[in-house]
Amino acid sequence: MAKRKTAKRAGKAGSAVRKSARAALSVATSARRTVKQRVAAMAEAPLAVVESDKDLQAMLGVLRNRDEPIKVRLAALQSLGAAAFSVIAFESCRGDYLATLRQVADDPDPELRQRVLGILMREKDGFAQKKLLDGLKNPAKALVPPAKALQLLSYDVHAEAYAAARAILAKPPNDDARREALRLLAADATAAPLFEKLLRDKKELREIRQIAASALHALNPEKLQQRAREIILDKSDYDDIKATSLMALATFGDDEALGKDKALLNSVSRFGAGKAPAKYKQGARRFLRKFGR
Amino acid sequence: MDVELQINNTPNPKARFVSWVPSPCRIRVTNPLGAPAPIVNLKITGVSAAGGGAVVFRGGATGAFASSVTLPVPTNGTSVPFFVAGKFGQPSTNNGDVTIQARNGTTLVGSVPVMVRIRKNANTLTTGERNRFVAAFAQLNNQGLGRFADFRNMHVSVSLPQAHGAPGFLPWHRAYLLDLERELQAIDPSVALPYWRFDQPAPNIFTPDFFGASNALGTVQFAATNPLQFWKTDGVQGVNRRPLFNTATAPPGLRTEAQTIAIGTQFPAFRTMEGNPHGFAHTSFGGSIQDPATAPKDPLFFLLHCNVDRLWAKWQRQNGRFNPAVAASYDSNPNNRPGHNLPDTMWPWNGVTGGTRPPTAPGGAMAASPCVGAPGPQPRVQDCLDYQGAIGAPARMGFDYDDAKFI
Amino acid sequence: MRPAATANAQSEPQFAALVDALTADPGRRGQLTDLLREDHPIYDQRGAATVVRMRGWVLLALARAGVSDAALIFVLEELDTGIDAYLVAAAARALRSYAHPDENLAPFVMRALTNIRYRDEPLCFEHYGDYAVSSTGTSPVRELLMTLAWLGPHARGVLPELEALRAERGGLARKYRIDIDRALHAIRGADQVDEPAAGSCCGPPTGLGNMVSRPSDSRGGVQSIAAAVFEDHGGDRIAFQEFFRGQPSIVVFFYTRCDNPLKCSLTVTKLARIQNLLDAQGLADRIHTAAISYDPAYDLPERLRVYGRDRGVVMNAHHRMLRAIDGMGALCAHFGLGVNFIESLVNRHRIEAYILDAEGRVAVSFERVHWDEGEVVGRAVEVLKEKVTFEMPP
Repeated sequence: MAKRKTAKRAGKAGSAVRKSARAALSVATSARRTVKQRVAAMAEAPLAVVESDKDLQAMLGVLRNRDEPIKVRLAALQSLGAAAFSVIAFESCRGDYLATLRQVADDPDPELRQRVLGILMREKDGFAQKKLLDGLKNPAKALVPPAKALQLLSYDVHAEAYAAARAILAKPPNDDARREALRLLAADATAAPLFEKLLRDKKELREIRQIAASALHALNPEKLQQRAREIILDKSDYDDIKATSLMALATFGDDEALGKDKALLNSVSRFGAGKAPAKYKQGARRFLRKFGR
Repeated sequence: MDVELQINNTPNPKARFVSWVPSPCRIRVTNPLGAPAPIVNLKITGVSAAGGGAVVFRGGATGAFASSVTLPVPTNGTSVPFFVAGKFGQPSTNNGDVTIQARNGTTLVGSVPVMVRIRKNANTLTTGERNRFVAAFAQLNNQGLGRFADFRNMHVSVSLPQAHGAPGFLPWHRAYLLDLERELQAIDPSVALPYWRFDQPAPNIFTPDFFGASNALGTVQFAATNPLQFWKTDGVQGVNRRPLFNTATAPPGLRTEAQTIAIGTQFPAFRTMEGNPHGFAHTSFGGSIQDPATAPKDPLFFLLHCNVDRLWAKWQRQNGRFNPAVAASYDSNPNNRPGHNLPDTMWPWNGVTGGTRPPTAPGGAMAASPCVGAPGPQPRVQDCLDYQGAIGAPARMGFDYDDAKFI
Repeated sequence: MRPAATANAQSEPQFAALVDALTADPGRRGQLTDLLREDHPIYDQRGAATVVRMRGWVLLALARAGVSDAALIFVLEELDTGIDAYLVAAAARALRSYAHPDENLAPFVMRALTNIRYRDEPLCFEHYGDYAVSSTGTSPVRELLMTLAWLGPHARGVLPELEALRAERGGLARKYRIDIDRALHAIRGADQVDEPAAGSCCGPPTGLGNMVSRPSDSRGGVQSIAAAVFEDHGGDRIAFQEFFRGQPSIVVFFYTRCDNPLKCSLTVTKLARIQNLLDAQGLADRIHTAAISYDPAYDLPERLRVYGRDRGVVMNAHHRMLRAIDGMGALCAHFGLGVNFIESLVNRHRIEAYILDAEGRVAVSFERVHWDEGEVVGRAVEVLKEKVTFEMPP
């Protein structure tokens, strides 16, 4: 196939760059070169991809070909992804690119699968969404671990993933999956009570309570402010969640009300003078300075 | 005797910020009591706090800068112009850490605090600079409800052709970053957008205290003291970012700064940097930042693009490409799409919707600056080339990079 | 909104079989159109991607069976505001089965081409729910170009746009060049069609039915909704009858998590323009405006306020962004809203704007394709002039 007109129109200035890009692509797609040479050449190839159908097809061919070294295929994916940023120039490549991504979504290599499904989910691709949901329902069909599937599904708030996330939460296969299920449910308008409970639960992991605070901030900000205040007043709660709570009050609270809250200011003073790590105490002092203390 | 010092030719205290580019200033006597003559010679100097910024002066629009300038100032209240600029290599770290003083002999007759506000390498910010920046950014995001939502909505599928894959790529993003930076400065005027120099190791950026540390899955984790822990976009919590490189090193495969600037001396060649290093910097990660329509969901996007803009600025300086009237400064072509020609106004700041433009224009006009007038509320492509006002002083946009001098 | 327990139990294969059966039966084909209603119970508790597969299959069935006058509005709706490649392509294909091509259809096709070109993707229409893993088949851009070719001289009004598309730098894939040229050739071809009438470029074909005006004596009551309670952008609570009784109102529906910029974001932006028109005519205090969320559990007052503010909406006692605290079901019933849900989240909705009379009854509705702000205000002014006889209990 002939080169597109874009390249023809380019002036002398651009033609040297384009020539160099085509040469790099030729190296990148040549099985006769070493893996190292090919991976290095991929970095110069995005321009060739968007300007020549032939070069695009050669690059997609490398990505598709399971006999190619995986390092080269991953580099081809990165190069195509970089080319995709040239949205207007990439318009003519998009159909072939998406079709190829769907083809390799079930590749034997887990890293490639994961990256490809990520790109597709960020396109809100129905094909990828269905694969991920099917995998959560039937682990034998799963293309990625449950935690990764949930993370990728969270790119589309309209993905029908809440039920799957709740099922994972009820019986989490590991901590990662539980955490990602909670992060996904942080967009579920009905989940505020769940996050309020988690935030108040001193037996919970610090990371989970931090996620709960952030989720509650979105779903019921007033409730977070109340609970954050309680946590700071509670002498028995942990320093790290107190620091998160203090940050919620400092960043999003009602300064006028906070400035009049003597009990809170006294608790923050104690926190700042106590045995908490230095950066938490600095945060407390910054908070107090805001209110002239 | 008292004098008033106006920075950026305004008494507005919010305008007391300078960069490497000369800021027009003026001095006038407001209280002549004690003046020895109708005209007094006043010496203007800058006094830097420890570790603070430094400024230099000159009396006219041209000529060399010096650490002080002495001006004859009438005691009748008439203003006398002078220029102040940040001393290259010595930016501020805190607001007001330089004081511009006016003395009559040894007597201090007036002073104002200023800041040499410069975009810096994010990897080398002080703790204070870093903390102020993340606090302002978190507030701008405010659970996905803050002004940041507009910036997110400016860079989605439907609007990408306004900004990518065509000559307007660099000017559009220059305006985009400036708009965001001005909104951050409305929250905390001491903040300047830092850059991620992606051709160098930047381990201090990828920490829980700054832009977060990614776990193996690519979920970014923040320290309890970092307000970015409350980051939300599109109604979804947090940031997904999986570095495909060791964050103690630079990502492999990206053109270095020297290689990027050497792509070519003409803009049509230089703008191919949209693929490498720009595109490759994006695809050095898995996660939101990897794809055009989701990239601004990750706040790191803005540091990445700040470096892209910095590279353009350095290329412009090296090749003298600030003047839109010079063909090599841009890639003009009769078949460029609307928004990619020098005289075109840019979406969304122009408010134009429908047809070849997106259906809505989030965010309204470009945020105004108390310091400078450019690029105006509805910037054109050509308004975004001469960011330092090298060709025409009124074109200066009010930002500078720590390693890109004024001409 | 329905609780998950009442979710429609029909599987997707069963649905596909139903659609195929309806298509094959000339006596029941009319029911295909009914399946395109967003509020059809069959879409209850389905995810957005599932709804796309289902509606797409109905549109493809219409492409085989022929688009009736009644179904045309659904096809044009997809072309006007659709951003899903599968649905837009299916709608483009369906339009080619319509028996009465005319020049009013061409702008819809061209607009769809502009909206979808950067979301182009390979598609497979062979079997229900198939996703293409090869780019050899069709795509929305290809379907739209084929539809322009089908319109032929009727598409003369969009010829300059298509020619510009052909000439632009970069642009559509080389593989579409033959489709563009074919469309251009068809449009420039025979000379039997009159020039399009002035002013016909942007609206739906005459008599399409995107606007329904109800005479005063045929409007429904308000008893079921009178007690519904809303919370506004400022957190103030107000009952339906408090806000909507006593003067006409212009009401639009939206939700802040809508990811189609051609729908909710644009609708609320247009509401701001309506407010400007009302203000310019001195009617800002005499006609209320409201934007009501489909997603009241998520759209808390601050979200409503920020969403409205960012789109230039004036918010005060007469003009409010609202969410239903109580009575979402009554709200859906009163307006006959074109929306469905999975749990509390919208899975699909139409564009809809309403003019309520001074009793809070629906006097005029604008549905599916974009309405003109001036026309909405003009209709609201007509309603304002109506003689008011309050029947609502105080």
